[in-house]
Amino acid sequence: MQRWKQYGSLLALFAAAIVAGLWGFSVTGGAVPWAKRSAQTLQRGIQEGSGSLVDFGRGVIVAGPIRNAGLVFEYVLLVAALVVTGVGLYLYTDRYHVMEEERA
Amino acid sequence: MAHIHLGEGSFPLWALALWTLVGIGLISIVVYRVRKGGIKTHQIALAGIAAAASFAIFQLNIPVWGGIHMNLTGLVGILAGPILGTLIALVVNVFSAALGHGAVGLLGANTLVNATEAIVAYYGFKTLMRMEWDVFPASASAATIGLSSGAVLMGVIIVISGVNGSALPRADLAVAVGGLVGLNLGVAVIEGILTGFIVQFLASVRPDLLEFVDRQPSEEEHSGVTA
Repeated sequence: MQRWKQYGSLLALFAAAIVAGLWGFSVTGGAVPWAKRSAQTLQRGIQEGSGSLVDFGRGVIVAGPIRNAGLVFEYVLLVAALVVTGVGLYLYTDRYHVMEEERA
Repeated sequence: MAHIHLGEGSFPLWALALWTLVGIGLISIVVYRVRKGGIKTHQIALAGIAAAASFAIFQLNIPVWGGIHMNLTGLVGILAGPILGTLIALVVNVFSAALGHGAVGLLGANTLVNATEAIVAYYGFKTLMRMEWDVFPASASAATIGLSSGAVLMGVIIVISGVNGSALPRADLAVAVGGLVGLNLGVAVIEGILTGFIVQFLASVRPDLLEFVDRQPSEEEHSGVTA
């Protein structure tokens, strides 16, 4: 397919999703975190709100339930375990793949 | 980023039982297909890495759209496929619920939502690549559509179930949920772009890891010599 059609379709998809996102953002309270937004909206219905779409001052933070319950260490431990397992599997299958090729 | 963040007891018991049973049904089908068809070795490695990435990013709240987290389930589906993608969705949700992020009782519903994202992204990517799209627009579109499907399913599940303690009539609840779904569509764009870049990068350095991507580098690329 022609490249302009591919990127045109992608841009149209993004535009539709962003319009829906902006509408959702404003009718569900504006600049409030997802968990609070979700609880408020489902209990009280839609509530117009505004605020900045991007707030770098807030930074990237660990999800509230984990942070508030003091489980950040356990979270880091789990991520480390999953990363080690994932990389280990990758190395194993990479070597296994080479061995299979050599045998063939 | 679709994920039902309601606490324990938010859904009526019948809804909890329903979504849990449907979730178990989906996992049963997946396990049956794994036993019957097996899994390619390289997919296991990708699944391990994808699960780690998805779980890690699941718990990180980024400062856009008010504060949201990403799932990377679209990426998971494209890399690991629909079968392993579903199992990864279950694993990520189990670990998340164990840390208090998402209710244990909603594991069935949340697994359904996230598995849908992975499955739709996989088949979307497959379809677009067969239509001879480039890797970036195909993967970004597939991930965005997959995540949007998950968001819509999340909304449908909440509206069908109803929320305990909410005084909203079903019609008002549907409008409120529509707003949440809409926001998720906006977030899907961010994840879609991120997924597009990652898949594009993988396709250029390790095309053998991706299905539907031409695995034979051209002679020019192979020799590194261009005219």
